[in-house]
Amino acid sequence: MTLLLDHPPSLVDVLRGDRATRPASDRRVASGVRSLIEDGLYEIVVDRPSEPVVVRPSSLRQSFATSDLAASASSRLRGVLVNQVLRLLSVAMVVDDPFHDALAAWRAQGSRGALHDAFEQMDADERARLEIDANAHCVTLRRALGDVPQGWMPRSSLRALQHLAGGAVVLRDVVDLMIGSLNRDVASVALFDVTTAPLGEGSERAMRYHALVQTLRTSTMPLRTAAFSTATGELWSQDVDFDMLARSVDEVLAFVERALRP
Amino acid sequence: MTTLVHRRIDALQLHDMIEGAPQQTVCLSDDHRRSLSARFRAVPTSTHRRLDAWSVEVAGRSSGPFEWSPASTRRYLGNAGLRRALSSTTLSIRDAVRDEVGEQLVRATSQRARPGSMASWLASCEHPVVGLVIADALNWATQLDEILEMVQFDARVATNDAYYDVAAARTTLRARRDIVIQRGDARIVVRVRSGSPGKSAGPGLRADLTIETLADATGEAPLRYIGLWPEAGVALAVDGTMGDLRAGARDLVRTAVARGRVRTPIAA
Repeated sequence: MTLLLDHPPSLVDVLRGDRATRPASDRRVASGVRSLIEDGLYEIVVDRPSEPVVVRPSSLRQSFATSDLAASASSRLRGVLVNQVLRLLSVAMVVDDPFHDALAAWRAQGSRGALHDAFEQMDADERARLEIDANAHCVTLRRALGDVPQGWMPRSSLRALQHLAGGAVVLRDVVDLMIGSLNRDVASVALFDVTTAPLGEGSERAMRYHALVQTLRTSTMPLRTAAFSTATGELWSQDVDFDMLARSVDEVLAFVERALRP
Repeated sequence: MTTLVHRRIDALQLHDMIEGAPQQTVCLSDDHRRSLSARFRAVPTSTHRRLDAWSVEVAGRSSGPFEWSPASTRRYLGNAGLRRALSSTTLSIRDAVRDEVGEQLVRATSQRARPGSMASWLASCEHPVVGLVIADALNWATQLDEILEMVQFDARVATNDAYYDVAAARTTLRARRDIVIQRGDARIVVRVRSGSPGKSAGPGLRADLTIETLADATGEAPLRYIGLWPEAGVALAVDGTMGDLRAGARDLVRTAVARGRVRTPIAA
C-alpha cells in the first residue's frame, strides 16, 4: 500500500506507475476467482431468495453509514458533484465554476431520484454551503489529478455488473475513472475511486471490490486500484494480486451471508 | 430449431465465437419478403410503426417519449468518433469524439440541423453538458475499440444501422449493428448494448438478424449475429440459419400485434 500526502506526482502518474516494472497481463486468474466466489455462494445461498441480493461498493463501506439523514444527503450530493467534475476533467474540459458546471452536467443525465428531490428541497443557505463545500473538494481534485493523457484511454463512471449464483446475487459497481487497455501484453488497467470522505477501512474494501468486479467482468486482472480523498488529499494505491481478490471474495461472501441470514 | 451461443467477453472466446460461426450463408428470397409483408399488412395500424429488437424484447410495450441526453447520443457519437480515429494516423479517440461533437455544433449553427435533431439539442446545451456528452461517447468509443482489438479478423465499425421498410405495411424495421466482421464473402455482425442481457435477449438478437438480412439487397443473412454486453462481460450469439430467421420474423409480427393491442382504445 502506498500512502501519499498532499500532491507529489499527479494522481494519473501514480496510477500508471513505472512502465518498466509492470507485470504481464494476467488473463488466467479470473476463472479461479470466479470459481472461488461461486463455490462460496453455493454454500451460502441454499434457497434462492425472492429478490437477488445486490452488492455495491457502498455495501462494503460500513463507515459510510451515518445517522444524520440531512448530512448524508448533502455529502452524497457533494460526492456526485465532485464525480461530475472528474468526468469533465478526464476529457480535458475547462471547468471554470465547478459547482454550477457539475450541477448542469448532473441534471443533464435526466434520472430523477431521491437525491434530486433532496437538492430541490434545500434552502438557499444549504445550497450555498454545498456550493462552497463542493468547490473546495473540486479544487483539491483538480490540483492532484493533473492532465489525463489521451493515450491512456480514460473512461469515467464505468458501470459493471455480474450475476452470480444463478442470478441470486448481483454485484454492481461504478468505477469513477479507469485508465489503460485490456489488450496489452503488460497489465495497464488502473481503477480510480474518488471519495469526499476521509479514507478508511471501508475505502480499502471498496478498492478491492472494484478490482474483483473488473476481474470478473473482463477476465483480466487490473494492474492497480486506487482511492483518493478530496477531504484529506490522501491517495491509497494498491497493486492487484490474487490475495487481494480472494480477500474481496471473502468480504462479498460475508455481506451476502449477513443479507440472507440477518 | 433456433440457436443461442453464450460466452464471456475476452479475446479468446470472441475469437472462438467468430471461428465457430456456420460456414454456409442462408438467403431470404422474394417469396419470404412477400410473405412477411402480407403478415404485417394483416396487422392494421393507424400510424407508421417502427420496430426493433428492443420492442421485441419488451413485447411491444412503449417506453416514454424519446429525448436527447448524454446517454442517448453516446452510441452515435462514439461509433462516429472511433471511425474517424481509425481512419486517421494522428487523431486520438478523444480528439476524434470531440471533432464529431464539434461537427454537430457547426451543423446546428450553420442552420443545417433539423429542429429536434441531435445537432440542435447539442447546440442548446450548456458547456459542461457537452463535456458530459463527450465523456459518455468516449466511454463507448474506447469500449468498442477494445472489442475491435480483440477481433483478429477483418472488421470495421458499422457506418449505420440496418433499416428495412416493409412494403405497403406502414412498417419500418431497424437493426442495431456496431461492428461488421468480414469472413470471405460473408459477414458476422456485432452489436453492443449496455446493462446485462435479459431473458428475451435471444429473441432480440434474432429480430436484429432477420432485419439485417431483409435490409441486405441480396437477402444474404450474416453467418452469425453477436450481441455483446460489456458491462456484464457477456456475449450471446444467434446463427444465421433459416430457423433463426423465421423465429425472428415471427417475433417481429407478434410485436406488431402486441403493440396494436396496447394502442387500441377501449370503448366506453
